[in-house]
Amino acid sequence: MSALLDVSDLRVAYGGDVHALRGVSFSLDRGESLAVVGESGSGKSTLAMSLAGLIQPPDAGGSVRVDGQELLGATGDLLRTLRWDRVALCLQNAPFNPVATVGDQVAEPLRDRRGMSRSAARRRVEALAEQVSLDPALMGRYPHQLSGGERRRAYLAMALVLEPDLVVLDEPTAGLDPATRHDLVAHIAGLTSSHGFALVVVSHDLPDATRMADRTMVLYAGEAMEYGATRRVLQSPAHPYSWALVNTFPVMSTTKDLRPIRGHGPDPRAVPPGCPFHPRCTQVEPICWEEHADLRESRGRQVACHFGGVKTLLAAVGVHKTFVDGRRRVRAVRGVSFTLQEGESIGLVGPSGSGKSTLARMVTGHLDPDGGEVWLEEEVVTASWRKDARRLRRRIQLVMQDPWDALSPRLPVAELVAEPLLFADDPPGPKERLVAVEEALDGVGLPTSGEFLGARTHELSGGQLQRVALARALVIKPKVLVADEPTAMLDASEQARLLVVLRERQTEMGLGLVIISHDLAVVRKVTDRMVILDAGRVVEEGPSNVVSTVPASATGMSLLKWAPTFSIGADASGQEQAVGERVAEWPSDSR
Amino acid sequence: MSRLLTEVRRSPLLAVGVVVVTVLATVAVLAPYIAPFDPKAIVGNALEEPSSRHLLGTNDAGADIFSELVWGARSTLVVAASATALVLAIGVLLGLVAGLRGGVVETLVMRSADVVLAIPAIPLLIFIASMAGPSRTVAIVSIGLLGWPQVARVVRSQTLSLRNRGFVHAARGYGADPLFVMRRHLLPALGPIIAANLAFMAGLAVTIEAGLAFIGLGDPTTASWGAILERALRHQAIYVTSMWVWWLLPAGLAITVAVLGFTFIGVGLEPRFNPRWTRFA
Repeated sequence: MSALLDVSDLRVAYGGDVHALRGVSFSLDRGESLAVVGESGSGKSTLAMSLAGLIQPPDAGGSVRVDGQELLGATGDLLRTLRWDRVALCLQNAPFNPVATVGDQVAEPLRDRRGMSRSAARRRVEALAEQVSLDPALMGRYPHQLSGGERRRAYLAMALVLEPDLVVLDEPTAGLDPATRHDLVAHIAGLTSSHGFALVVVSHDLPDATRMADRTMVLYAGEAMEYGATRRVLQSPAHPYSWALVNTFPVMSTTKDLRPIRGHGPDPRAVPPGCPFHPRCTQVEPICWEEHADLRESRGRQVACHFGGVKTLLAAVGVHKTFVDGRRRVRAVRGVSFTLQEGESIGLVGPSGSGKSTLARMVTGHLDPDGGEVWLEEEVVTASWRKDARRLRRRIQLVMQDPWDALSPRLPVAELVAEPLLFADDPPGPKERLVAVEEALDGVGLPTSGEFLGARTHELSGGQLQRVALARALVIKPKVLVADEPTAMLDASEQARLLVVLRERQTEMGLGLVIISHDLAVVRKVTDRMVILDAGRVVEEGPSNVVSTVPASATGMSLLKWAPTFSIGADASGQEQAVGERVAEWPSDSR
Repeated sequence: MSRLLTEVRRSPLLAVGVVVVTVLATVAVLAPYIAPFDPKAIVGNALEEPSSRHLLGTNDAGADIFSELVWGARSTLVVAASATALVLAIGVLLGLVAGLRGGVVETLVMRSADVVLAIPAIPLLIFIASMAGPSRTVAIVSIGLLGWPQVARVVRSQTLSLRNRGFVHAARGYGADPLFVMRRHLLPALGPIIAANLAFMAGLAVTIEAGLAFIGLGDPTTASWGAILERALRHQAIYVTSMWVWWLLPAGLAITVAVLGFTFIGVGLEPRFNPRWTRFA
């Protein structure tokens, strides 16, 4: 028994050279729902139209079957009977005819195809209007008299009027206000289960699309990058593209600032060879442009990535460190484990003395752990002087708390920043070095004038110095950057600049970022996940938004309680009161 | 150089030391032009009193004492400079390696240093000189082999603290090799300390060289202050007449002044660079 909708190897090339879809396959049954998400130009709308048989050979190839009937190459008659009856397609802009009332237009298929009487059709339409929570009275109005949300709901009613087996919605919520959007999404989700139709939602709006559907397909350059249960795909995206896509979304559940995907969207005229995402991916290896990645089972869903998805970049496994000071033994780090995914940014947070800095030094190979291991991709990081150990360390750089200490006072900026380049596998000449130095300085927002290049540390401000240190760490293009309290010695405005620079560089270079701080307010701005340390142990771990708002551990709560806020004249425990006071003060302020 | 000038202005002691050493060095370099006679040649009667021809008279063999004194500056400085260079080379290298590598290497180096320090220097020097025969090279090498532990200790302790500076960590972090770290980050930072040690070692070398010559283990072919003392004191009647004033005293004073000069430089530099001083300064 085949599924209701069976799409296999669907390919669409407009005019033969604009490759909108390049082999998409999936199947869907009644009562099931699928969200197709992706950036503009990923082929979403083309897919929606193909499902309604709107795109035909020679542009389209492969197969789209609804209940066993092939849509591609079907006759016009067959398609006409299928459309609206079996397959309803809602286009983005709810195209109503402006000179007829909405009700008449919604009823039209009923009268036209079912031969219903005007009054029967009207009753049916009014019942439907209620189902999509639209005031039935609105049905007598003209399209321009309805709001966008109402028009869209009316359109949805029209799609459902013949009780189709398959409903395809293209951007159903675009341009709606949040409340309307929420209503509509809830209705669509409810209708799917009550009417038992199969639903395909095409949208660039991740949260909405996925709330309507129990499965999600991430489309990129006309190919499925990831396909699986919505919960899985959204909460722990496996493919680097899905991961990046989720991160671009302005949702209330992240505290971090938005992070665009680096590079530009795919050009359907010139799709890159191999994995189409490789030019923008942060974990590319030669295989990525040499071989095409097919959808494969990985982490409980299907992923089209040679590595089965986002790689684990850095892993600390049960790391221990005890310092012996005379007879006193200080157990600084007691078995800490954490991982950092490719392109991810995590925060190691904890009060002073929780072992943060020691951990940072072990992770970057400045200090050998007493027990446990630190893995950078497939190698163990050590503090050894051996050549391979030194080469590995170049890929994970540490930005220290104190820039005055981290930069030799004897050398000018140009030499400080150029120093790491001297140890490259093929060291660049003096001219290339200067270019690289200027590039690195420019990247962190510092001038590249001769004067600045010749300046020594005592001539620069703390913020400038910290950015010089950052430039030095980035000039050799590391894979991971560990920043140990990078803003501790800076004032607020320099801190803000540094954090912005850090985030920009992270996106641009696809860095894995580990920020170490006791300042929850800073860390939650730049990280996806947080690991809270106390007394050398991990006491809590979770998404930054959760940890920074409802921490589960005592340490987390105390960090949150004393995190800086602007409540004047009250400590954090009296925050509401303080806000109230401020509101009360406003009139006198505005005088 | 400008750094040295500011230091000189800060410390009168240093200024005196620099002047003394500069004068000494000038005399040593210009010895052939300053000294009127060949110091070993017999150019007058034995035991002449000072005159315009022989500024400090002649010794019991009839050689010009003033010329001997001038040439003695040269041999003293040559020994001091070479021995100091050797001490520094060994001491700095071992100190750096011990401080940077740590572990077994460090233990090995530092325990050897302790052993060398525990050996009484003068008897050993006498032993070496008497076994290997009196020569300038032997003196230089002996001083070098015995003097390094002090330097190595200071350099190691400084390296230990420098090793934990951020810029050294950073250098290791981006893959620098140990030689680079030493050259680029440790040696420049150690410069002042090495300079201070250099002055002390030079003073010590002057004393040892004079001491060896004094007990007859100096190089018999070259003029030196120690040799003047030795010859003068061997003369039975040295204190019978006033001849000790021009024969014995000038050489003794020269040694004292030279050692003081070097020591003043060392002492003058020390407050700036000895961490034990600067910490409380």
